[in-house]
Amino acid sequence: MNLITDLQNSAPEAALAIIGLAAVLIGAIVGEGSRLLIRTIAVAALAGAAVLAAQQYGSGRLEAFGALYVATPFVAFAKIGLYALAAISLLVSGKSLKEAAVDRYEYPLLILFAALGGGVMLSANSLMTLYLGVETLSLPSYVLAAFRRDHVRSAEAGLKYFVLGALASGLLLYGCSLVYGFTGSASYDVIAEADLSIGLTFGMVLIIIGLAFKASAAPLHVWTPDVYAGAPTPVVTFFATAPKLAAVAVFANVMFSAFNGHETDWSPIIAIIAALSMIIGSLGALTQSSLKRLLAYSSIANVGFALIGLAAGVEVGASAILVYMAIYVVGTLGLFVGLLTIRKDGEPLDTIDDLNGLAKAKPLVAFGMTVLIFSVAGIPPAAGFWGKLAVFQAGLEADLLWLVLVGVVASVISLGYYLRVVWAMMVKPSDSTLDRSDWVEVAAVVGASVAVFPVLTITIQSLLDAAASATLG
Amino acid sequence: MELTLNHYVGLSALLFTIGVFGIFVNRKNVIVILMAIELILLSVNINLVAFSVFNGDIAGQIFAMFVLTVAAAEAAVGLAILVVYFRTRGAIAVEDVNVLRG
Amino acid sequence: MPLIAFYILGAIVALSAVLVVAARNPVHSVLWLICAFFTSAGLLVLIGAEFLAMLLVVVYVGAVAVLFLFVVMMLDVDFVELKQGFQNYVVSGAAIALILFAEIGVIAASIGPGSNATMDPSPGADTNAEAIGAVLYTDYLLLFQLAGLILLIAMIGAIVLTLRGRPRAKRQNIAEQTGRKRKDAVELRDVRPGEGV
Repeated sequence: MNLITDLQNSAPEAALAIIGLAAVLIGAIVGEGSRLLIRTIAVAALAGAAVLAAQQYGSGRLEAFGALYVATPFVAFAKIGLYALAAISLLVSGKSLKEAAVDRYEYPLLILFAALGGGVMLSANSLMTLYLGVETLSLPSYVLAAFRRDHVRSAEAGLKYFVLGALASGLLLYGCSLVYGFTGSASYDVIAEADLSIGLTFGMVLIIIGLAFKASAAPLHVWTPDVYAGAPTPVVTFFATAPKLAAVAVFANVMFSAFNGHETDWSPIIAIIAALSMIIGSLGALTQSSLKRLLAYSSIANVGFALIGLAAGVEVGASAILVYMAIYVVGTLGLFVGLLTIRKDGEPLDTIDDLNGLAKAKPLVAFGMTVLIFSVAGIPPAAGFWGKLAVFQAGLEADLLWLVLVGVVASVISLGYYLRVVWAMMVKPSDSTLDRSDWVEVAAVVGASVAVFPVLTITIQSLLDAAASATLG
Repeated sequence: MELTLNHYVGLSALLFTIGVFGIFVNRKNVIVILMAIELILLSVNINLVAFSVFNGDIAGQIFAMFVLTVAAAEAAVGLAILVVYFRTRGAIAVEDVNVLRG
Repeated sequence: MPLIAFYILGAIVALSAVLVVAARNPVHSVLWLICAFFTSAGLLVLIGAEFLAMLLVVVYVGAVAVLFLFVVMMLDVDFVELKQGFQNYVVSGAAIALILFAEIGVIAASIGPGSNATMDPSPGADTNAEAIGAVLYTDYLLLFQLAGLILLIAMIGAIVLTLRGRPRAKRQNIAEQTGRKRKDAVELRDVRPGEGV
C-alpha cells in the first residue's frame, strides 16, 4: 500500500481537498477581491470531482487507505450526483448571494468542503470514516444556514440546525461505539460478519436514528421546515439537493454493507420510518403558505418514498433508491432555482401568492417549474413517475404491499399542494412586478425541466440501466 | 470482584442518560444543551476507550481521539452560531425561537 | 483496589454530570463539566489509557470548557429566566431517562464475565502513546488528515460568522511604528528661565 495508489483510488476527494486548501490560501492572501475567482475554482473543482467520480463508477470496487475508504459503483453513482449538484447550486447562486449581501469568498469554500464531506461519508468503509465524513458535511452546513448573520431568521435556523444536528451526531456516535464494542471492529467488513447481539441491535438502532436525522426522515424531520425557511435560499438550494442525495445514499450504503446480514431486523424499522415520512411530509405540506416550507415537507415525503427502496433490501432496492433520488433532486434543484428568480427589490419572496401570474411575467421559468412540479409529484409522463414506479416495484417484490399502498395514498394527497402551486403560476392574476432574473438561473430551471421532460425517455432508460449496474459490486 | 468492562459501559450508559435528560429538561437554555451534548460525547469516549482496552484493540482509542477533535471543532462552531444569534436577538432562550414556527 | 477507585471516581463523574444539567448558573455548569472531565481522565488512567486521559484534560479542560466559560461570560444572559420550565419537565424527563438507562443497562449487563482476560491498553507497544503513535500516521492517515480539515472548517466557520471588520478600529501599524525617527517624536527647545516654551 503506498500513498500514490491510495490517492489515485480516492481521486475525487483528494483533488477536492487539495484544490480547496489552495483556494483557502488564495482567499486568505487576496481577501474579498478574490470572490469570483474562488467561486470559479470551486465550481470547476466540483465539476472535475464529478468526472473523477464517473471514472470510479467505471472501475469496480476501489480500496484506499487500508480499506478505510472504499468506492463501489453504488457510491460512485451517488457521488457523481452529489458533486454535479453542488457545482450547479454554486453556479446559480451568484446573483442572489450578492443581493442578500452575503457574497463572501468563504461561501464557495464551505460548499466545497461540505461536498467533500459528503463524498467521504459515502465512500466510508469504517464507522470512523463515516463519522468524520458526516461531520465534515455537517459543520459547514451549520455555518451556511446561519450565513446571513445579520438576519434573525438565518441565525435562528443555524442555531436550531446546530443543536439538533449535534444531538443526532451524538446518538449516531453512541451507536457507533456500541457496534464497535460488540463486534470488535469499526470496519463494515467485520461488522457484516458479526452475529446479532443485544448491544449490536441497540447500536444499529441508534445509527439508524442518526442517519435518519441527516436524511430528514420522520420522526426526526422537525428541523427541516425551520432550517429551509430560515436559511438563505441559495443555501437551501444546496441543502435540498446534494447533501440530501448523499444522506439517503449513505443511509442505504451503511445498511446494505455493514448490516446486510441482519436485514430482517432493520427492514421493519426502515419501513415505519418511510411510512411516517410519506404521511407527515404530505399532510404537513398541505397547510403551508411559504414555498420553502412546502418544499421542505415535500422533501420529507420524498425521502420516505426513497426509503421504500431501502426497506425492500439490497437485491431489489439498491438501484431503485438511486433512480428515485437522482430524478427527485434534479426536480428539486430546478424548483429552488425557480424560487431564486422570484425577487422583488432584491428581497427574495417566499409565499405561494408571490407566484401569482408568473406565467405572464416569466413564461420560461413558469413553464419549467410546472414541468418540474409534475416530475416531483410523479405524474405519469414526467420522469418522477418512473422513479416512483421503480421504488414501488421494489416494495412489491419485497412483499411490502402495505408500504406501497401508503405511498400511493401519500402521492394522491401530495397532488393537492403541488397543483395549488401550478394553479397560482398559471391561472391567478399577478399584482406586483418582479425583478429581472439572471440568465444562469433561467438556464438552470429550463435545463432541469428538460432533463425530467417526458419526451426524453431515452435518458430515463439509460439512467435505469446505469443505476441497475450500480448495485454493490 | 475486579474491575471489568461492564463497569465502564454501565457508567457510560449513566452519563449518556444524564446527557439526554439534560437536553430534555433544559429546553430553553442553549448553553446547557451544548454542555449536555458534551456529556454525551464524553460517555461515547469512555465507551470507546473501555472497549478498546478490554478488547486489546487500539482502534477504539484512535476513534476516541477523533471524537475529541471533532467535539472541539463542534463546540467552536456552535458557540459562534450562538454568539451570532445573541447579537441579532439579544437573548438566547430557545422558546424565543418562534419567528420560525412549525 | 482499582474497583474502589472506580466507584469513587465514577460517583464523582455521575454527580458532576447531574449538576451540569441541574445547576442554576451556567458558570457553575461549566465548572461541573470541568470536574466531570477531570475525573473521567482519572477513570481512563485506571485502565491504562494514559494518552487519552491527558488529551481529555488538555482538549476539554484547556480548550472547550474555557471556550464555554468565555461565551457564558461574554453574553449578558438572564439566567433566572432560562431556568423557568425546568420543574415542568423534570418528571417526564426522569421517566424517559429511567427507561433509557434500563435499556442500555441491559446491554452493559449482557457482556459476559471474565471479558477482561484480553485487557491491554497498548497492544503491540511498550507504552500507550507509542501504540497510538505507531498507527495514527500510517494506518489512519486518511482520518488524521480529515480531522485536520474539520478543524480548518471550524476555524473558517467561526471567523466568517463572528468577525466584523470595523472601519474605525484602531490597529497597530508595525511599519509605521518601527519607521519612526527620533526627530519625528522629540523636539529640543532651549527654555530660558522665566520665559516658558
